[in-house]
Amino acid sequence: MSEEVILKVEKLNKAFGGLKATNNVSYKMMTGEISAIIGPNGAGKSTFFNLLTGYHFPDSGNIFFKGVNITYWPPHKITRLGIARAFQVSNLYPRLTTYENVRQAILSQQKKTLNLFTPAHRLAKKETQELLEITGLSHQTNMTAGNLPQGDKKRLELAIALGNKPDLVFLDEPTAGMSGEETHETMELVKRLNEEIGLTILFTEHDMSVVFGYARRLTVLHQGTVIAEGTPEEVRANEEAQRVYIGEEA
Amino acid sequence: MKRYLFLGLIYALALVLPLFIGEFWIHVAVEILILGLFAVSFNMIFGYMGQLSFGHAAYYGVGAYVTGMLMVKASVPLAICLPLSMIGAGICALIIGYFCVRLTGIYFAILTMAFGQLIYYIIFKWYSFTRGDDGLQGIIAPPLLFSVNAYYYFTLFIATAALIVMWYISESPFGYTMRAIRDNADRTRFIGINVRKYMLINFVIAGMFAGLAGALWGPFNRSIAPDLCNWHHSGTPVFMTVIGGPFGFFGPMIGSVIYTFLMAFITGFTEYWPLTIGLVIIFVVLFVPGGVLGVFENKMKGFRSKAPKSEETIP
Repeated sequence: MSEEVILKVEKLNKAFGGLKATNNVSYKMMTGEISAIIGPNGAGKSTFFNLLTGYHFPDSGNIFFKGVNITYWPPHKITRLGIARAFQVSNLYPRLTTYENVRQAILSQQKKTLNLFTPAHRLAKKETQELLEITGLSHQTNMTAGNLPQGDKKRLELAIALGNKPDLVFLDEPTAGMSGEETHETMELVKRLNEEIGLTILFTEHDMSVVFGYARRLTVLHQGTVIAEGTPEEVRANEEAQRVYIGEEA
Repeated sequence: MKRYLFLGLIYALALVLPLFIGEFWIHVAVEILILGLFAVSFNMIFGYMGQLSFGHAAYYGVGAYVTGMLMVKASVPLAICLPLSMIGAGICALIIGYFCVRLTGIYFAILTMAFGQLIYYIIFKWYSFTRGDDGLQGIIAPPLLFSVNAYYYFTLFIATAALIVMWYISESPFGYTMRAIRDNADRTRFIGINVRKYMLINFVIAGMFAGLAGALWGPFNRSIAPDLCNWHHSGTPVFMTVIGGPFGFFGPMIGSVIYTFLMAFITGFTEYWPLTIGLVIIFVVLFVPGGVLGVFENKMKGFRSKAPKSEETIP
């Protein structure tokens, strides 16, 4: 792990009506890190991702990515700079095939989407096949995404995010709805990506065994506020974190 | 491969058509081509981008007026008028589209319709320039294209060229980006695509081809009127696309064949054409929601794989 800051969030605030979904959150990630954000439902995890990727604009605060202030940038510009996300509820192109779903992300990353006259099926063949293999989807190549089983939908969700060749990827409950074995496979893939290509990863997860098994650093959110942060051991030992969250599970 | 063979057959048939049918039906065939081109351009927005433009006749009308006025007032050759019509319609689509792509769904439909009506009223009211309600008469095709057969071949050639270009666009990465925006615009932002910009580019391209279709209309009909821009004329490509099927490239063209042929046939012996087309639309919407092309595609897919019903996968 290098000591280079890839993401720095300063005093981020966001309220929906009277509800403070993100309350004065500061956060920092180093290049090559694999970390998790945990917290009960409604703690503000998804909102935090939405703020970092430009889906919502914060009320105040700053977001720096690779040293660039990306606060108030639209999602497509943030993605171009190297942040990708996989959604909690799979968010695919239901009428395109698995292959076309992945290819779309790759074509976008290769800046070929303004190409009007080359048939798309001739482009990004190798990259698409490779990514389908890595994510364990090559048996579903021609299946319409809307008809994939739940586990494959989540895998495709991840594949689309990776198609953008991001430097930093947010995974919002990447294993939700997967079987135990699928969860293990997916998280091993995530771990491999982190170790082999140095992808920086931030994920949320409800399954505590996943969180403690794969994250090297944890942040606990509660009612939009960071209440604990540190290595899994430190967080496990933190009384407040235990009270609001971890204790629930035990 | 079979598909290309089929297309080749249809095209061969189109080439020899004038040998077998009378002048009236050649007129109908020209209309089928022009309106089919119009409908296919409309479907770039409807079928591929997933938005209903209810003001598409505006670009058709602008294209018709650019060519009509240049030919009548300045005697510009038709070959130069056609690209100018595309540019004229494209500029209108750029200005109007700039506002429309900010909206989706019913609001997109309403706004495109409102802008379409605006263009209609401008042409209608600006008597000194456009001759308003009187329309433009005496738009005469060059001598070479004067016979109806010659104009038929000319239209066939232009329409084919335009369809090939639109086909390439629909199969290009840009075309797939349009499908992606149709399926899930939000996700498309998160793979790094400026959705509004792409929608606007598509809107302009669709407007340009509508303008080309309109440009072909004037010299064929020898006159044009503001009604070409009116909202009920915007309904024509909608009906054609619904009948033919929006999910295949040639659906709107098939719709144009059915719609235009039926219109020519039915108006021959009754004035109840609107009633007839109304019944046809009701039938298609209730019983063949994918249109004619949808029926064929489902039949073919049935043999190959367990293809999903397209409606099921729409979230």
